[in-house]
Amino acid sequence: MNSIRVENLTYKYPNTDTFALDGISFTVKKGEFVGIAGMNTAGKTTLCFALSGLVPHFFKGAYGGDVFIGDMDVLTHEISDITAKVGLVFENPFSQMTGAKFTVYDEIAFGLENLGIPRDEMHRRIKESMQFLDIEALGDKNPFSLSGGQMQRVAIASVIAMKPDILILDEPTSQLDPRGSEEVFRVVENLSKEGMTIIMVEQKMEKLAAYSDRILLMHEGKLIDSGPPADIFSRADLLNFGVVPPVYTTVAKALHLKNELTGLYPISLEEMPASGITNGDIRTISESLPLTKTAGPEIKVKDLQFSYNKDTPILRGISVTLSGEPTAIIGQNGAGKTTFVKLLKALLKPSAGELIINGTNTKDTTAAKLAGTIGLIFQNPNDQIFKNNVLDEVMFGPLNVGQTPEVARLNAEKMLERVGLLGKAGENPYDLSLAERKMIAVASILAMDTDIVIFDEPTMGQDARGKAILKDIIHGLHAQGKLVLCILHDMDFVAETFGRTIIISNGQLLFDGPTRIAFSEADILHTARLEQPHITQLARKMGYDGILLKESELIQE
Amino acid sequence: MKNMTLYVDKDSFIHNIDPLTKLLFVFLSIALTYILPTHLFVICVLAFTLLLLLAGKVFKYILPVIGVSLLLIISIIIVQGFFHPDRATLLFEIGPLPIYKEGFAFALLLTLRIINMVCAFGVLILTTKPDDLVESLINKGMSPKIGYVFLSVLQIIPQMIAMTSKITDAQRARGMETEGNLLTRIKSFIPLLGPVVLNSLNDTRERSIALEIRGFNAKGTKTFLNESFHFKYGLILKIILIITLIAAIVWRVVL
Repeated sequence: MNSIRVENLTYKYPNTDTFALDGISFTVKKGEFVGIAGMNTAGKTTLCFALSGLVPHFFKGAYGGDVFIGDMDVLTHEISDITAKVGLVFENPFSQMTGAKFTVYDEIAFGLENLGIPRDEMHRRIKESMQFLDIEALGDKNPFSLSGGQMQRVAIASVIAMKPDILILDEPTSQLDPRGSEEVFRVVENLSKEGMTIIMVEQKMEKLAAYSDRILLMHEGKLIDSGPPADIFSRADLLNFGVVPPVYTTVAKALHLKNELTGLYPISLEEMPASGITNGDIRTISESLPLTKTAGPEIKVKDLQFSYNKDTPILRGISVTLSGEPTAIIGQNGAGKTTFVKLLKALLKPSAGELIINGTNTKDTTAAKLAGTIGLIFQNPNDQIFKNNVLDEVMFGPLNVGQTPEVARLNAEKMLERVGLLGKAGENPYDLSLAERKMIAVASILAMDTDIVIFDEPTMGQDARGKAILKDIIHGLHAQGKLVLCILHDMDFVAETFGRTIIISNGQLLFDGPTRIAFSEADILHTARLEQPHITQLARKMGYDGILLKESELIQE
Repeated sequence: MKNMTLYVDKDSFIHNIDPLTKLLFVFLSIALTYILPTHLFVICVLAFTLLLLLAGKVFKYILPVIGVSLLLIISIIIVQGFFHPDRATLLFEIGPLPIYKEGFAFALLLTLRIINMVCAFGVLILTTKPDDLVESLINKGMSPKIGYVFLSVLQIIPQMIAMTSKITDAQRARGMETEGNLLTRIKSFIPLLGPVVLNSLNDTRERSIALEIRGFNAKGTKTFLNESFHFKYGLILKIILIITLIAAIVWRVVL
C-alpha cells in the first residue's frame, strides 16, 4: 500500500506566470524516509503544501493532476480531513505557536483537543512526545518565552503527538545549533522506524544522505530524479541543480574512491574507508590572508556584562580584542551571541564593562551615529526591509550615513550585482523569496561601506550558490581591510571561510583563537553543543591526525 | 516573555469557584448597583465585592487598576458637581468652582458604581485563568473561534510590541536616528509601520496554516485537556445569585 501517490501534479500560485510544480509524479511507501533536495526556487516548499492539502485548499491557484494520501484524494477532501493524517512542520518556529495556550504542555494539547482525543490518551501522548524531543523540563513555560530552537522542538512535538501517518518537515533545523539539529534528525529517524512516513526538505546534504531512504531531486518545479542517496549524489551534473553533494562524496570523488560493484561514491562517514589520507596528503593553508591596510578597524571589549534583569545574566564578563582577520562567533542556541553583537552596535547598553570601537566608547554614542562605522545584518530580513522597491531599500542606509544620491545609487547597484540581484532592482522586496530578501539585507548594509561588518547567521536558508556568494563577499571585505564578524551555526562554512573563531557558551567566552585550534578542542565543543565540521571528522576517520578544514587542503594527484 | 493576563496564581476559596459562577456574580454585582441606586446599598455591594477580593488574596492587585480609573472619577465629580441640572445647595468651592450637593451626591453614586464594576471584574479576572474562562464558555456553546481570538490577543499583542522593537533596532542599525527630540521620534515612527503591518500579516498567514495543520477546523467534537471546572457548590451559588437578583428587582418594583 502506498502512503503517498502523486500523479502529474502541476500547480501555479495565483497571479504568477510560472509553474511552481510542473508535472510531478512519484509514490512513497509507508514508513519510508524521503528527502527532498534542490535549490531555493526548486518548488520544495510548494510540494510540501500540496502533500498536506494547503495547496489547493489554502493557497488557491491553478491545480492539475492528483495527490492521494493513502486512498484519499486531496482535491476532494477538506484540509481538516487531510491534516488528520498528515503533519507539517515548517521553518519559522514562532508562527507555529498557536498563541492560544499559556504553557508548552497545553500548546501540545491544542491539536489533540481538536481531534477529540480522550483525556487520558491526551496526557499520555503529550508526555511521550515531550520525552521524545527532550523538552520535559519546559512543560510549564510559556511557549513564547523559549528560544527559537526550543520553540521548534515544541512545534515538532505538537505535530507528532497527533500521530500523523505522514510527517512533512520543511527545513526544520535551519534555526537550530548543530547538536539540536542532530537530535531532531534522530527523533525523526525513530519515528520512521516505527512506521511513520517522513518527507523532509533540508539544505544539509550530509544529514539528508545519512538518514533518507530515497532522495527526490527537484529543479524549477520539476522532479529531476528519484533514487537512493548514493545514486543521486553520485550524479555528475548535480551542481547544475544548485545542489552540492555531501562532503564525503566530494572527497571520495577527488580520491577516486568509487565502489567498483555499483559504480557509486560513498555518501556517509560510515561508508568511507578508515584509511587513505596520510599527513603527507594534507597541505594546510595559512589562516591569515594578507592585509592591504595596516591600521585596520578595531573593537576592544573589556569585561562586558549584560542582563535584562538582575537574576538572569546574559553575558557574564567577556573580554576580547577584535581586529584583522574575519572572525566567526559560534555557540549554542541562547548562548548570548546575538546580544553580544547588538551591544557592539550600541543597540543595547552594557550593564557593566566597556566597548571601545575605533577609539570611541559606545556609551557616548547612538546606534544611528555608529551606522557609518559598523554595519549589522540582522538574522531576519523581514525586520529590516520597509521600502517597496529593492533599489530604494538598498540606498536607504547609504543616504542616511551621508553619501550623495549619486554615490549611494552607484554603491547600491554595485552591491546588488555582488549578491546577484541587480536584475531585480525594480521589484518589490516582498515579492522575492526569503533567501533573496536576506541577500537584499546584506547588500543594503554593504552599500553603506562601513569599516566593520557584522553578519547574524547569513547562511540560514541559503543554498550552495548563496553560500558561495557570501564566502566571496566576506573574503572581499577582508581584502579591502574591513573587519568582518559573523555569527554562525554552519560549522563547515566556518571552517571554509574564517581564520579566527570565538566560542561563546552561556554568556562566557570559552575560546578565542585560530579556527583550526577551535575545532581541536573537543571539551569546549561539547560544552558549547557544537560539532566538528564534516570534513574534519572525515579526515580524522581516514587517518589524518590533524584538523582538516577545507577540501582544497587535500592534495590531489 | 510577558503576556497580558492579569491572573494571579494563588490558592484561595475564590480561585476554586468555577468561572461561570464568577461571571454571573460580575453581572449581578453591576446590575444591583443600578437596580437599587441608594448610596448605602451601593456601598454594601462594593464592600462585599472588596471582601471577595480580600478572600481571593488579590486585593493589592486591584489598587493600580482603581488608580487608573481615578482620573475618570475626578472628572466626573467636578463635572457633575458643577453642572448637574438640579444644582441648588452649595456644598463647597474648589477655587472659583462651586460644587453643589445634588451633583456631588450623584457623582459619588456614579463613582461607587464604577469602582464596584472594576472590582467585580477584578474578582473574575484576577482569580481565573483566561483559558479556563474561555473553555467554560466554549463548553456552554460559544464558538471556539471567538474563544481563540480572546486568548490569542493576550499573547500576540506583546509579541507585536517585541517585533516593533526589533524593527526599530534594524532601522537604527542603518543610521536612522530614533533617539532624541519629539520630532525625530515622530519621523522615525512612519517607516516602522510598513514592516510591522507586513510582518504581522505574514505571521498571521503562517499561523493560520499552523492552526489548520493542528486540526482547528476539524468537524468532530472537541475534547479538553483540563477537566471542566468541578466546583460542588457552583449550582447552589448560582441559584443564590439569581434569587438575590430577583429579590432586588421585586424590592425596587414593590417599594
